[in-house]
Amino acid sequence: MSLVTVNIDDKSYEAKENSLLIDLLILHDIKVPYFCYHESLGADGNCRMCMVEIEGKKRPQIACDTFVSDGMSIQTASEKISSVRKRILELELINHPVDCPICDQAGECKLQDYYMDFGLYDSNIDMKEKVHNKKHIALGSSVILDRERCVLCTRCVRFTSNITKSGELGVINRGDKACISTVPGMKLDNPYAMNVVDLCPVGALTSKEFRFAQRVWFLKSTPSICHGCSTGCNIFIDHNQEKYKEDKIYRIRPRKNREVNGDFICDYGRLSYKNLQENRQQELLNKSNVISYEDALLELNSKISGSKNIVILVDANLYNEDIAAISNFSQKIGAKLVCPTECYFDDSFGDDWLKSDYKCANLQAIKNYKIDSLFSSDQQIDLLINFNHPSFSKFSSKQSVEFSTHKGSSAELVLAIPAYSEYSGTTINDANIEQYSQKAITTDVATISEYLSDLSKVAL
Amino acid sequence: MSFNFNDDNLEKIELLKSKYPKVQALSLPLLWMAQYQDGFISLEAIQEIAKICETPMMEIYKVSTFYSMFNLQKLGKYHIQLCKTLSCKLCNKDDVLKSIQNELNIQVGESTSDGLFTLSQVECLGSCGTSPVMQLNETYYENLTPISIVEILKALK
Repeated sequence: MSLVTVNIDDKSYEAKENSLLIDLLILHDIKVPYFCYHESLGADGNCRMCMVEIEGKKRPQIACDTFVSDGMSIQTASEKISSVRKRILELELINHPVDCPICDQAGECKLQDYYMDFGLYDSNIDMKEKVHNKKHIALGSSVILDRERCVLCTRCVRFTSNITKSGELGVINRGDKACISTVPGMKLDNPYAMNVVDLCPVGALTSKEFRFAQRVWFLKSTPSICHGCSTGCNIFIDHNQEKYKEDKIYRIRPRKNREVNGDFICDYGRLSYKNLQENRQQELLNKSNVISYEDALLELNSKISGSKNIVILVDANLYNEDIAAISNFSQKIGAKLVCPTECYFDDSFGDDWLKSDYKCANLQAIKNYKIDSLFSSDQQIDLLINFNHPSFSKFSSKQSVEFSTHKGSSAELVLAIPAYSEYSGTTINDANIEQYSQKAITTDVATISEYLSDLSKVAL
Repeated sequence: MSFNFNDDNLEKIELLKSKYPKVQALSLPLLWMAQYQDGFISLEAIQEIAKICETPMMEIYKVSTFYSMFNLQKLGKYHIQLCKTLSCKLCNKDDVLKSIQNELNIQVGESTSDGLFTLSQVECLGSCGTSPVMQLNETYYENLTPISIVEILKALK
């Protein structure tokens, strides 16, 4: 496709012929307000916010329904455009309840942002004249609808009809009675349903799990990779440490990556943060007694040196760096390294979009390091060292050591390790893309690499 | 409870299918058919129509809520549709409405307890020359007065 030159606000830009003008504006960070347009959902043209002035056209045009052509001249910030946007926003807000102080979207709300830019600061509407509508309707899948705040951009409707193809949501009635709804007696019910909460540009759709939990401006967003399955969706971990409290994850949001997950994640991954902070192993235990880090290392060292037939189990959720360190360590002590992958396989979980059949994040690394995925031994295992592998209890051994993120280990020596959100590293997804997760939560617990390097010092 | 089109309608549906390039185009004719068959459109009927039109139930449901002439609730035997647009309003439809409400003891949008009458107000019925007008089921009643309407209703009881 040929390139054309477009003049925007007296600067020239190059764009593909017949691409959407709004894409060009967004690409070059030229301020353009919009509710209904979304890169993954396409243009709908119902909110009318993205009006721009095009030379030669009588009236302002919407940028999401305008294709660029050579020599086009566009004004995005003229006085005329500002006044048009102001009037459109006035209509969008006409029955808005202005309940920002109790709205979860406040701080990341498009209505608020645009109001700061184009707001009609003195309202023409008396609060008493506003048309009221139903608030807090449970749509299903932990999504709550507030019809008063809705701007009817139909992003959620287009998500269910075009992307998940389940078609649960729709706009019913018409005129000022029009509202988002499900069919009476039916629920919003699909494994990706909570994406509508992110898609909603205003506070109309909120998540039951996040409602009233935290103000968004207090949250720190750390880019990370979801460990729910081997797709490796890019996510933001939103967390906050309140005064005198522990750093806590409040939500997981999708992070845009065209190569992997687009703009979306599944609900399983989105809610997986709960498991990261419940029932966590914090102490080092030797036969259920709390011991110090140094004692634990000595104990581990004596166990290793006193055993002949050692087997190491490694979890396929660990970072590449850990798997490399464990692989070196196993060679050094002459242990057999295995990772039975059968326990991760669940074909009822996978689908043909984002969810993969293998519920582990770093299966590819296990393959790259040529770690055995099947294990059977006739010999008695003297020492079993488990690095957080879920099927530890299926193996019997004389002695056992477990590096564990969660409580409930039956091993003699239990060593706490951090979960993936608590340290950084890389994983390789099933499309062979290597991705980096940053550390979101601070913890005192030592990582596997730290244990192993300190152990080598003790052994010397 | 379930909904099935009767044999006559099933025949008509097959005929209609050949007329349109896509089955989704049948949603409006099928909604009419269901309404004529039952007197109103039940959720079960919507489910059945969605199945025939090969589309999610929501698509049919939102069409049925968009058009005010589709009734999603069971109506009385006689459906009084009083015009509320300009000409009728100027010719005292308000008094006619009051008279109906007094006679039947119901508000707009309600049905009488014996299931005989349902009262609703509609936009222009296109008979401004003979306003005020009401449509009772399929029949127009014209040049209404607060007195004549009572006589009409009494005759129906």
